[in-house]
Amino acid sequence: MKKECIAMLLAGGQGSRLYVLTGDMAKPAVPFGGKYRIIDFPLSNCSNSGIDTVGVLTQYRPLELNSYIGSGQPWDLDVTTGGVHILPPYMGSKGGTWYKGTANAIYQNIGFIDMYDPEYVVILSGDHIYKMDYSQMITRHKEANAACTISVMEVPWDEAPRFGIMSVNDEDMITEFAEKPKEPKSNLASMGIYVFSWKVLRQYLTDDEADPTSENDFGKNIIPGMLRDGQRMAAYRFEGYWKDVGTLESLWDANMDMLSIESGLDVADESWPIYARSLSAPPAFLGRTAVVKHSAFNRGSYINGTVENSVLSPDVTVGEGARVSYSVVLPGTVIEPGAVVEYAILGEGCRVGKNCRVGAAPETTAPESWGLTVLAPHCELADERVVRPGVMLDRAGEEVSK
Amino acid sequence: MKGLHGIIFSYETRNDLRELGELRSASSVPFGGRYRAVDFALSNLVNAGVTDVGVVLHGRYQSMIDHLGTGKEWDLSRKRGGLKILPPFNYRQNWGVLPFRGKIEALAEVRTYLDTIRQDYVALMDGDLVVNLPLQEIFTQHLQSGADITAVCGNDSFETDNGTYFEMDHSGRITDVLFNMNHPRGYRGLEVYIISTQLLKDVVDECSGRDMFSWRRDVLLAGKDRLNISSYVWNGFAAQIRSVKEYYDRSMQLLDPEIRSELFCPERPIIAKGADKSSAYVGPDGVCINSLVAEGCRIEGAVENSILFPGVVVEKGCVIRNCVLFKETAVRENAQLSYVITDKNVEILRDRTLMGHASYPLVISKGSKI
Repeated sequence: MKKECIAMLLAGGQGSRLYVLTGDMAKPAVPFGGKYRIIDFPLSNCSNSGIDTVGVLTQYRPLELNSYIGSGQPWDLDVTTGGVHILPPYMGSKGGTWYKGTANAIYQNIGFIDMYDPEYVVILSGDHIYKMDYSQMITRHKEANAACTISVMEVPWDEAPRFGIMSVNDEDMITEFAEKPKEPKSNLASMGIYVFSWKVLRQYLTDDEADPTSENDFGKNIIPGMLRDGQRMAAYRFEGYWKDVGTLESLWDANMDMLSIESGLDVADESWPIYARSLSAPPAFLGRTAVVKHSAFNRGSYINGTVENSVLSPDVTVGEGARVSYSVVLPGTVIEPGAVVEYAILGEGCRVGKNCRVGAAPETTAPESWGLTVLAPHCELADERVVRPGVMLDRAGEEVSK
Repeated sequence: MKGLHGIIFSYETRNDLRELGELRSASSVPFGGRYRAVDFALSNLVNAGVTDVGVVLHGRYQSMIDHLGTGKEWDLSRKRGGLKILPPFNYRQNWGVLPFRGKIEALAEVRTYLDTIRQDYVALMDGDLVVNLPLQEIFTQHLQSGADITAVCGNDSFETDNGTYFEMDHSGRITDVLFNMNHPRGYRGLEVYIISTQLLKDVVDECSGRDMFSWRRDVLLAGKDRLNISSYVWNGFAAQIRSVKEYYDRSMQLLDPEIRSELFCPERPIIAKGADKSSAYVGPDGVCINSLVAEGCRIEGAVENSILFPGVVVEKGCVIRNCVLFKETAVRENAQLSYVITDKNVEILRDRTLMGHASYPLVISKGSKI
């Protein structure tokens, strides 16, 4: 079945900088923004962009992600030809290996891509929060007659050294690529979103695999190699909200951004919906003593305490007299009466006992000892327990280092 | 084949739903902040392991068909069985102009469908019933009791529009069937019945051949001595959505956590269509207490004792008390509403004040702008 374009979504990373949050699940399965998981963004973008065939490359703890994706129905990707496919590494007659790098992951699935004989392949990451019309990027790719098109955005010059930086000519064709340059020549950062002409990419992947010195990585090997060979590389300028949520701080930031439309992240805009698999629970109930300010909440929740500047997932309970501020609370967590939670990320199914104090505001803490407080999924805190700012607890409630 | 088949009656019946029924049958009236009445019957059946469900429609069923779709939300989009939508088949070739006079007439109109039922037993349910029954348990009781028909009743004589009431002996066998009464007595029938497929076809054939159309009069009342009609008494919450008053009172009962936890018990989840909206949000100056709030709502004003369906907007300075606001209702700045039910896509412009009363909630028709 020929498709003009298919997408390959890299979802195999462990997400080690999310620490305890990714102890049991791959990063793309981590809940975000109350009702979503991170992977809802690229999957919804595909669906809204008219891409109905998506390969999801998984490797690290995929069970949660696999069951979440299921048939792809929430994203309208349960189509008869194409649809969403989970692609773990597999054995062939000559053996098999884990995915060695991003390029190797695609290389190992050349067979899958060839089944659809596409002209173009979109390569996506499973750890970015953004709304983007890939069809416009593909149009740019065609118009530029490019072998590869890379989505870029302008970043502040002082932040440029943290990104892969693209230099472009006056037609926005890429002339140079520098990974985390100390002295950036441009402030156009790569967003890790690529469109390739499949014939060209297929050849580069095959050659890259044959090179024993290669790290089999798009950013380190494939893109620089194509540039060296003088392939036509186009930049596609993206304007709008985009955030890599690979760290606890950036995950928290992005959640806070979602509360304010001014941040540019408008998940309520129905012209570009973000779909999610949802659970069967009644609407949230706000009790007689509930005080909710500038906060988001979801189905199945029962709020009787104070919630300020926070994002609450489904099935969260906030008891009377409890206070949650500047925090991200993942599904099924219970905050018992009198507990105070500030500047924290609470994993799924946690229980914060009565009168506990979890985290603190930066204003009340010495700057060097302040940080987000994080509880691993299913961590249970006994009543009255105090968890200092910046501390991370594992499932057993023991302190672990970040 | 052993097992239970579901038939949901969702045709237009006499009711006092006023504006809420202008465009829809009672079965598709929104309820509880994110459901339609029929979601309860469907979920009751699915949670009891029912895989095949027929929904009998007649009149104003556009909204119902939109809602049901292929039935995939309830896992009823199947190769074999699954959801079957049953508009009148015109068995008597009168092209379905006249509304059904009763359940038997409705079943006679879809008589050929009854022959396709694979299961030995059928659960008949009304689409306007809001309940969470342990239907599996009721089915087991039916099989063990050897009854011909099991009727599910509520443990009260609550007056409901066009209700059916039962009297029973100490063994639970039904001894009398009452309806159209000024002062109801006995047990309130929930219009949920279990009957063998064969007996159902027999009574439909016998009755329709004699122009007898009423299930309760011509089958239950006429047959109460000949048939063993047993009962199952349900002690929990059960609402029949047949009048604005009942709709309103029953909606407000959901603000009681005990009733909610019973109606939405996790072991038998009530399944509804997703809304694909973002999280609900209360702004810096918003106040919201003792209320159910669905996804996608944005609250900048004050809300108390109310039920908000998905995508409701309450702007700054508004005061919403004792209201039920359907999907996408927008209440603009400084408007005040109390005891108001707004249908879908209603817009209340700035500074308006609308007040009903608990005894007569004001209903605003779908799409109105005030």
